[in-house]
Amino acid sequence: MKKIINEPAAFVDEFVEGILLAHPDLLKTPGDDLRVMVRADAPVAGKVGIVTGGGSGHLPLFKGYVGHGLLDGVAIGNVFSSPSSSQVLEATKAVDGSAGVLYLYGNYGGDVFNFDLATDMAELEGIKTRTVLGRDDVASQPKERAADRRGVAGIMFAFKAAGAAAERGDSLDQVAAVAEDIIDHTATMGVGLRPTILPTTGKPSFDLSEDEMEVGIGIHGEPGFHRGELETADNIAKTLTDRLVADLSLTSGGRVAVLVNGMGATPLEELYVLFRRVHQALTEKGITVEKNYVGEYATSLEMAGASISLLALNDDRLALLNAPAQSPFFKEG
Amino acid sequence: MDGKELNAAIRRCLAQLTTYSDELGDLDQALGDGDLGITVSLGTAAADEALLALPDSSTPREVVLACAKAFANANPSTMAALVAGALLAGSRVLGESPTVAPEQVGRFAMVAAESISQRGKSQVGDKTILDAMFPAAEALLETHPRERAFDAAIEAAEHGVMTSKELQSRRGRASWLQERSIGLQDPGATGYLRFLQSWKATNRTAGVVQKAEVSE
Repeated sequence: MKKIINEPAAFVDEFVEGILLAHPDLLKTPGDDLRVMVRADAPVAGKVGIVTGGGSGHLPLFKGYVGHGLLDGVAIGNVFSSPSSSQVLEATKAVDGSAGVLYLYGNYGGDVFNFDLATDMAELEGIKTRTVLGRDDVASQPKERAADRRGVAGIMFAFKAAGAAAERGDSLDQVAAVAEDIIDHTATMGVGLRPTILPTTGKPSFDLSEDEMEVGIGIHGEPGFHRGELETADNIAKTLTDRLVADLSLTSGGRVAVLVNGMGATPLEELYVLFRRVHQALTEKGITVEKNYVGEYATSLEMAGASISLLALNDDRLALLNAPAQSPFFKEG
Repeated sequence: MDGKELNAAIRRCLAQLTTYSDELGDLDQALGDGDLGITVSLGTAAADEALLALPDSSTPREVVLACAKAFANANPSTMAALVAGALLAGSRVLGESPTVAPEQVGRFAMVAAESISQRGKSQVGDKTILDAMFPAAEALLETHPRERAFDAAIEAAEHGVMTSKELQSRRGRASWLQERSIGLQDPGATGYLRFLQSWKATNRTAGVVQKAEVSE
């Protein structure tokens, strides 16, 4: 294992400290616990707060979307593990501007458990919460069990849109409805080439031989639905795009936002090679790409691989994506 | 029983329950992460403090909610959050009534158990606090004459603790022990039994059925 780290156990606290030192104008820790991070201007009076959370090791996922026009707070777990319910509660209290708080995070058992516990404790504090789960990974469950799918990179669309809705003054129910709507129209699929090495254990997150790829891989290295010989970028792009178009029932005349996301160790060049073919494949089907994101939006430490997400667009969704936003890791407008 | 009486009854019960902290901590050392003793001692102390600060005019529901909040805030353990959520769910049974009706006791206990079951995705047989909670709640709801219900609940909880001793833990840290968890007594279920026993020892002098209320 070759990593630029100190004590593996201190890894999370130390990178959080680094983020806070780099961006004191945008982010802060409300109390003593470094595992809770909120917008520097939190709580914003009268605005719906949005709290996310999950395991570390996915930057910019979770922490990177706390900012203006985005999310208000995050509860930070250890690498690939859930934050605690009390950390979620602390984030909730720190961002509550008296308009309620939306919990928007990925559908994973540990996270659901701890966020659900936090909803009870928030209620005891007199804070109204709603929960919306990211569940965009089409490889994790078939369409008829879409509610059980894992949440992966596509949750970024929901962060952006719900954040914009909250920023313009929508109510808690409206912000939750925006998040639900986006998630219902988002589909993601990934391909893994090389595992990440967990800093605490020094072990790889999955095993894959040098000439193989895993299609449908999860963001923690969960197995996909097909393991086979590594194919060309064009074939990978075409395979994933076709699956996503089918899952979203997109047809000619449709409009989409595309996210080509690197898992951490895949160069930007390769992501653009992928995007090129995704764009072609969509255009061939008569589908217009109205918005695109190419880069690292949800990683898995140094896993090699990429995921492709599509969001079916209408005017409302596009307007929310285009609204101004700023965090240390994300900027729009 | 009105809010003021319930407040005093809970404080008497907690004073007794806290004497079991070491026992519960030792059980949890063997099967979990060992923090249940701290959870109980800090939680009971915080609840006691919160109850003392409440006005005499508080409704039973307000009394229960004060306990829940104090318990959750006293320590950041999963168990504390589960118990707080259970009390919150149970408190809805009480409504805004100024008194606790005897028939609400069983429903309170059942709703509290269902809350933990739902939040923790666990059932009876997973070797958790539920192995004591569900049988006790059923006994409270189904025992006639009602005067015997509380003793029946204690027996049912005791039986649940003993039965689950031979089971393998399926939830929480204890599940990591796999078959090594067999033969060890579940700390959560034991804590619930000790709660019922504490309630009986401190509040059941006149044989009147009083409100069973969940706490570790």
